Amino acid sequence: MSAFLARNRLIVLAYAGMVVLLLVTALFSPGFLSVSNMRSTVVLAAFVGIVALGQTFVIIGGGIDLSVPWVLNSAAIIMALLCGGQDVPLVWVTPLLLAGGAFIGLINGVGVARFGVPPIIMTLATNVILQGLILVLTGGSPTPSAPALIQFLSVGRIGGFPVIALIWLALTLVATLLLSKAAFGRHLYALGTSATVAEFSGVPTARTTILTYVASGLTAAFAGMLLTGYSGQAYLGMGDAYLFTSIAAVAIGGASILGGSGHYLGTVAGAMVLTILTGLLPALNLSSGALLIVYGAVILLTVSIGSEAFAGLGGRLRRN
Amino acid sequence: MDLVTVNGLTKRYGGIVALSDATFSARAGEVHALLGENGAGKSTFIQILSGAVRHDGGSILIDGQDYRPANPDAAQARGIAAVFQELSLIPDLSVEQNIWFRHEPRTLLRTVNRGEMRRKTLALLEKYSFPTLRPDRELRRLTLAERQIVEIAKGLAKDPRIIILDEATSALPAREAEWLLKLTRQLAAEGRLVIFISHRMAEVRAIADRLTIFRNGATVAAHEANAVSDNEIVAQMIGRHLDRLYPERIPTATDRVALKVQGISSGSRLSGVEFALREGEVLGVGGLQGHGQRELFQALFGATRATGAVELWGKPVSIANPRQALTGRDGIALVPEDRRGQGLLLTKSVRENLTLSVIKRFTENGLLSRQKEAELVKEMVDFLRIKAGTPEQLAGTLSGGNQQKVIFGKMLLTQARILLLYDPTRGVDVGTKGEIFQLMRDLAAKGYAILFHSSDMPELVHVADRVMVMRNGRIAATLEGDHISEEEILRAAMLETRAA
Ligand SMILES: Nc1ncnc2c1ncn2[C@@H]1O[C@H](COP(=O)(O)OP(=O)(O)OP(=O)(O)O)[C@@H](O)[C@H]1O
Ligand SMILES: [Mg+2]
Repeated sequence: MSAFLARNRLIVLAYAGMVVLLLVTALFSPGFLSVSNMRSTVVLAAFVGIVALGQTFVIIGGGIDLSVPWVLNSAAIIMALLCGGQDVPLVWVTPLLLAGGAFIGLINGVGVARFGVPPIIMTLATNVILQGLILVLTGGSPTPSAPALIQFLSVGRIGGFPVIALIWLALTLVATLLLSKAAFGRHLYALGTSATVAEFSGVPTARTTILTYVASGLTAAFAGMLLTGYSGQAYLGMGDAYLFTSIAAVAIGGASILGGSGHYLGTVAGAMVLTILTGLLPALNLSSGALLIVYGAVILLTVSIGSEAFAGLGGRLRRN
Repeated sequence: MDLVTVNGLTKRYGGIVALSDATFSARAGEVHALLGENGAGKSTFIQILSGAVRHDGGSILIDGQDYRPANPDAAQARGIAAVFQELSLIPDLSVEQNIWFRHEPRTLLRTVNRGEMRRKTLALLEKYSFPTLRPDRELRRLTLAERQIVEIAKGLAKDPRIIILDEATSALPAREAEWLLKLTRQLAAEGRLVIFISHRMAEVRAIADRLTIFRNGATVAAHEANAVSDNEIVAQMIGRHLDRLYPERIPTATDRVALKVQGISSGSRLSGVEFALREGEVLGVGGLQGHGQRELFQALFGATRATGAVELWGKPVSIANPRQALTGRDGIALVPEDRRGQGLLLTKSVRENLTLSVIKRFTENGLLSRQKEAELVKEMVDFLRIKAGTPEQLAGTLSGGNQQKVIFGKMLLTQARILLLYDPTRGVDVGTKGEIFQLMRDLAAKGYAILFHSSDMPELVHVADRVMVMRNGRIAATLEGDHISEEEILRAAMLETRAA
């Protein structure tokens, strides 16, 4: 057990931070720990968490996916347009959108792994292209409201539990199995630690890289659909916030932004921390500008604690 | 008076004791060899001396004064410089920028004085007759050996009174290693103290005035070099007598060809190499460094683009990447040249490193069985006697020789029966070297086929059944039987090929 703690110190730290933050928040706004408020916090965190799932894979593999905002936004808008508020079309629209998200991920992955385009450039480019496509497609007009089924998935409950929390739980389980219990996870950590060593060890490096971007495209598209249900409508710019939060959640969760370490279980805590923080800051009665400053500073602090621990580890690796 | 006196030095890493009771004393103007098995604590000792890590207990006196450096700068201020392996160099800077890093000559405006830097670089290289090095070359374009040489220049640039060479010859080919030995004598003659770490007994014999032997973190003996025999030294190092370093060479090659190579070429470094490696054979690859040995090994393993025809066990194959080389029993496995850059995930555990190439083998219905993995890892750790606290210890914190053992174990686990061993004993202690050679012969006897390169020529001479000598990307000669000797290898490497 102590070996587990030592190996996963940063993840444990993220959860400890989450608990501390919860208590602090409760101090400032006593209603915060109420069941209904916790429920809505988890729902909001779930959106961040789902987008950050694919991002976690990408970052562990040594890349980064900046295309999540408009993959998410595209999925949301196309779903609203194609369904026209009806549930029935979801039967074919859902697979179509998930395949679409995966396809964007495939393009990102192939660009990075096969053509050597730096991940930042590659995914930034797909992001902008998608943005342009959607602007052309909608001409800026509002979309019909979300289908009822999607609304149920994002705001409904089963036995008191938010449906989306259950979905998140299931995805967490899948991600954990992939990272901790599958060959894919080993390959991924190796790839992110040293692409050359991974290649020399027979790891399918290109395939593994591509898969991470595919996963990220998938989760961003899925989150876009769910988020439409939450807000009732799809609108331009709804994915923008998720670029920062998806990456910050991964970093707060203890992953090195350089790749090779981290775990989705940490990201889950990271998503919670970010969401609790957005709940805490209004309670402090600050102006919205001041809010952003505090928000940014807290994230900077959390992440640098993590990376300092990482740097310390690197320093202990010795020259021989 | 002694220049350095160390008493009862201790250092722990968590539960791992790296040094328990190291004593040491050395005079100015001598070459002092530090000997010991892999993991004995030699590197830890010099890291403490050079200010890279701090000791827990004991005392160090320099010129009779207490010495406890807070960092490498403090050590430098007292005239101590250490030459580690390639790690402290910056790939994006040039050779000279690396040599003078953080000590660049300045102009009056405090900008780097490039002219002066060049002049000082050339003067330094000249003074110590360095092998040719272009000062403006970017470091990332250099070979491992060249980087090692730059690292040496960087140490000397500080004009230290005490210079420490930690296995500096292990990355050098024969000629450069010889140069380094001469350099070491020259430095001692200048009145400096050279602390010299090497696992090559012949080198130690050639230059050391005195020697200190570590075992399990403690000093077991110190001798005048000419008052003690090789056998005594080895026995004190490994705690038992070593009968022989090289195993008996009983030919086990069959007629079956394991690896047939026809006209393999790659860039300008490898042109039209042909040979056949037979089942049960240990085929040596020698020659001066940089004549295509590295490219040959990497091309066969699919790590470098190459053209030409390759057959494995009689079947034509095309190997575009290492994954296609590592296809189980009929495949090819490699012990690569650069253990930190190509062989090991330094920030991952011994376990994860050992099983990385074969992780699929431990999955059932897609899920890993940690228990099966742990069993195999334990077997391999015991078999190779890898000195690690637990299999969870990070590979980067193992001693150099133990890192090499992990790479060896990782290769054995692939079960591939064609092995490409590029300097597999680099940094490995004598006892373990003997075991590795024995293992190679045992594997050959079991039907493995081994291609073996060593930068230590006697190893080729004593272990290989045949030796191919490479020159300018071609096989200049293939030596067999009684013709295998250091002189013949050198002759073939340097002269025109004689008609066979
Ligand atoms: N940062 C660290 N964390 C854990 N253990 C360490 C660390 N550094 C060194 N050790 C351990 O200390 C012991 C001594 O290592 P050291 O590198 O000094 O050996 P060495 O004599 O240089 O061996 P070699 O000949 O193989 O280079 C080893 O068992 C090693 O695993
Ligand atoms: Mg060492």
